[in-house]
Amino acid sequence: MKDYRHLIHVAATFVLVFVLFLTARSILKPSSYGKIGRYRAASVDEIKALPIKFAGRTAQKECAACHEKEYKDKASGRHKGLNCETCHGPAAAHVAGPASVKPPKPAEAEIVKFCLRCHAPSMAKPRKFPQVDPLKHNVGTACTACHTPHSPRL
Amino acid sequence: MRGLQRRQFLKISTAALFGSLMTKLAAPLAWAEDFYREPPWKRKKPYWGFAVDIDKCIGCAKCVEACKIENNVPKEPFYFRTWVERYVLRKNGAVEVVCPNGGMDGYPDIEDEGGVAKAFFVPKLCNGCEHSPCVQVCPVGATYKTEDGVVLIDKDYCIGCRYCIQACPYGTRYFNPVTQTADKCSMCYHRITKGLATACVEVCPTGARIFGDLSDPNSALTKFREDNKTESLKVHMGTEPKLVYKGFDKEIR
Repeated sequence: MKDYRHLIHVAATFVLVFVLFLTARSILKPSSYGKIGRYRAASVDEIKALPIKFAGRTAQKECAACHEKEYKDKASGRHKGLNCETCHGPAAAHVAGPASVKPPKPAEAEIVKFCLRCHAPSMAKPRKFPQVDPLKHNVGTACTACHTPHSPRL
Repeated sequence: MRGLQRRQFLKISTAALFGSLMTKLAAPLAWAEDFYREPPWKRKKPYWGFAVDIDKCIGCAKCVEACKIENNVPKEPFYFRTWVERYVLRKNGAVEVVCPNGGMDGYPDIEDEGGVAKAFFVPKLCNGCEHSPCVQVCPVGATYKTEDGVVLIDKDYCIGCRYCIQACPYGTRYFNPVTQTADKCSMCYHRITKGLATACVEVCPTGARIFGDLSDPNSALTKFREDNKTESLKVHMGTEPKLVYKGFDKEIR
């Protein structure tokens, strides 16, 4: 029976390691881990709380409050399906504070490049989509010289 | 008389055995009701999905730009949550795929247009797999599928082991050099939970991208899936993507 003390040592080590494991686990495990699934439930709310930068299509009526003419032109023209932010960039900050944040206007010198981003000819595009070859159609003239961007059809 | 008794005994014992076996069998059957046969959006609300109409995409890559702005994706041309590839299928069977800077810098001219069988643009993004390999391989539970069906990354919990980047069959994950964590399309979770559409859908000029709630029978997405014949990427992998394409081609990888 003199060997039974070895068993106690083994058992004591086992218990100690187990207690250490439980302590480490309670310290390291985030409180919301496992509430929904095998992940930190709080991270879902953290991602939800991130700020938005694009105001979205639903905010277009807020655009119309100040930019009434442009909004009406767009609503009747061929660009009616477009969101204002497609061309003008993210505007959530501008909607929240119209005076403090101004979205940049597409640069006048770059306007051909800007329009061609969508309207450059390519056989990969749907055939019905309006495309224009900049090497054949009024070379050197800004698109805006003839076309109004909000209602581009002449 | 003895024979009859034996027969009776056998009858009763067989009936008893059969009865107990049936109750034993019925118990696991009741438990099996946890495994649903119908898709999750039949019982969970909302459940987000995505669709792409390849026939409408013009390759302007406004979506790529908007995604980078909305989600603070590094501007270098290696980091994308969404990107637009141009496929050129030659008559001789050759397939050319190009995607310079996600499509934001435009595409090179197609050479020898006479030899082209067909050409089209394919926007790519997170497929929102029902059985996502990236979630399965994460060793720390930093990536997960939310109750409304979106695969997200917990940036505070990610250890940056890049295992999920290897696991994604669609290559939609990248290593964010700023946060030093894995990063991916979050289906603009911060927008969709506020009732807005994703940034890429907001700016798409032709309506080639459709976002919506699969559990809503009247949503634009449900209607799109009902009205069109759609296909997903790499269905043979069994990941069950919630992203579907209209105008799919077998050469799309």
